[in-house]
Amino acid sequence: MSILINKNTKVLVLGITGKSGRLQTEIMKKYGTDIVAGVTPGKGRKEVEGIPVYDFVKEAVNNHEINAAISFVPPPYAKDSCIEVIENGIKFLVLTTEQIPEHDVVEIIKYAENKGARILGPGSAGLILPGKCKLGVHPPNMFKGGHIGVVSKSGALSYEVGKTLTENGIGQSTVVAIGGGPYWGLTQLNILKLFQEDDETKMIVLLGEIGGTMEEETAKFIKEKVNKPVIALIVGKSAPKGKSLGHAGAIIEGDLGTAKSKINALREAGAYIANDPEDIVELVNKIGVK
Amino acid sequence: MKLYEFQGKEVFKKYGIPVQSGFLIHKNDEVKNLTPPLVLKSQLLVGGRGKAGGIKIWDGNTDALKIINELFSLKIKGEKVRAILTLEKVDILREIYLSITFNRGKSTPVLIVGTSGGMDIEESARLNKEKIHFVEIDPFLGILEYQIRFVAKKINIGNYLEFRNIIRAVYKIFKEYDATLVEINPLAITPSGFVAIDAKVNLDDQSSFRHEELFNRLREEKEFIQDKKKVHTSKPKEDTITYVPLSGDIGLISDGAGTGLFTLDLINEYGGKVANFCEMGGITNSEVMFKSLKMVASDHSVKSILVVLIGGFNRMDDMAEGILKFKKELNKDIPIFIRMCGTKEEIGKELMKKANIPVYDSLNVAVEKTIKKAMEN
Repeated sequence: MSILINKNTKVLVLGITGKSGRLQTEIMKKYGTDIVAGVTPGKGRKEVEGIPVYDFVKEAVNNHEINAAISFVPPPYAKDSCIEVIENGIKFLVLTTEQIPEHDVVEIIKYAENKGARILGPGSAGLILPGKCKLGVHPPNMFKGGHIGVVSKSGALSYEVGKTLTENGIGQSTVVAIGGGPYWGLTQLNILKLFQEDDETKMIVLLGEIGGTMEEETAKFIKEKVNKPVIALIVGKSAPKGKSLGHAGAIIEGDLGTAKSKINALREAGAYIANDPEDIVELVNKIGVK
Repeated sequence: MKLYEFQGKEVFKKYGIPVQSGFLIHKNDEVKNLTPPLVLKSQLLVGGRGKAGGIKIWDGNTDALKIINELFSLKIKGEKVRAILTLEKVDILREIYLSITFNRGKSTPVLIVGTSGGMDIEESARLNKEKIHFVEIDPFLGILEYQIRFVAKKINIGNYLEFRNIIRAVYKIFKEYDATLVEINPLAITPSGFVAIDAKVNLDDQSSFRHEELFNRLREEKEFIQDKKKVHTSKPKEDTITYVPLSGDIGLISDGAGTGLFTLDLINEYGGKVANFCEMGGITNSEVMFKSLKMVASDHSVKSILVVLIGGFNRMDDMAEGILKFKKELNKDIPIFIRMCGTKEEIGKELMKKANIPVYDSLNVAVEKTIKKAMEN
């Protein structure tokens, strides 16, 4: 098993004709993702990589079985396109778009919640089931199949850790990037819950960063509900206060959101604390699941 | 974009929130015909101007010009006073706190009301929980009558209808202006009703594409009273670059915030010091790479540059092009160390090899080399 998607998941790509959408569709398809259709308004009846493109999500779902979607739609149109997806009964959407107006993000998340749909993102790099398929932009060669479940806010940090694990012969079950915040559809806690229930995942790697209180809430959940080993790496220990370093969510305000507070909470919850990806490898080997 | 008080109050007026009458004085304006008593408020974007002496009351017994000149000579938290808002003085019976913002943890708008105004809301929220009330707002339903009634009762408001209209107006501004914060602190109760004594309105820069005219007008107003050379915050956003000056001798560029933060930690741990940090963000291409290098290299304290690339979205062929352009056009002697992997890395690495620029696979090795070089130079 795996979480959120599997190799039979039928995927719709939103914004498939754009530069990123097209390239990432090509890479995902080559990796084994079953992409059945794409949508770009005004570009219907074209094809990308042999995949039919429609003007509306409704046309795509009328012609194909679709279980999940990934969006590469630019910020001004992101909300509209997310609502269209949810409205047409698709229950899982990876939203890669960054810089969506905050009012739109809040509405997207609320609408999904109301309709029982799950959103990974915004600003998410998506997820990869190494060796099977991927719904996102993870570079394929940095991952290999195995039993470590990785959840990260940052996409790039999840590649970094995946790469180090893979180079050291440690495979992953699913690698998920939830986005840099400050708003999230699926949270660390949601993903950890799925990892806890997933047979294939024997150990969990949590990659957090400064800002907000999500890691603290995740720690509480780990303490109460997770019995698989959790290894945590929190980045941003040396970041200055009050300044966002790229992720809008990664900002220390007052005493809130420091690396120290997160590390303490996670350690107290029984998680192993790593300082860098090499440390994670060492800990995985020490705890002993491969 | 943060609005000045006078800009915020213009918006309030438009939406029917009562404010004091008054006018703006610019630094070189000739000031005459002032009638006491007046409140003179320096217009600044930083907080805490009252405590720092940026607000004065002129009762008519002293020379108003003297007070005005004093205010214009002030510099509060690095910000010079360049405009003063003069306002009629009102009799205040009671002050309360009122704002609508986002509760980011819960992804929802929230109405915050406090029993007393003028306070530091974050400080008070921690110390006096029972004095501050939070009401979550459904973005599709808006603020509901019973929610307003609830807070009105909690903080003991007599004139309910007037209070309700103000809260509705604040929410309307919050929505229609794509604001991330609309705050009235304090909202005064006077013998003739409510008056917004202060106005804090922050707009979401990410929404500027649908408020082009508004953003341009507000920006022009701001530039008019600011020292133009120092206008950083109101610069229109053309890319997603985040640039943060720190103090050290290494320039750090990354194509992801997570790896950037991690590399910053790593450099620190290895004993290096970062002079400036540049994260290229989600919309990356060769031009952004070029611009980032240019920005980082323009700081003279930078002795070596580390470029950390791990591309998912980001294409290494594009990045290589940007680096080559920088080398060719600016020809700076600052040594550049590159860690490159991810999407289209074969092409990127090939381009670097042809140009004799060393590329490292291991981040740790690249960090060590960068620190060593910075120490040598």
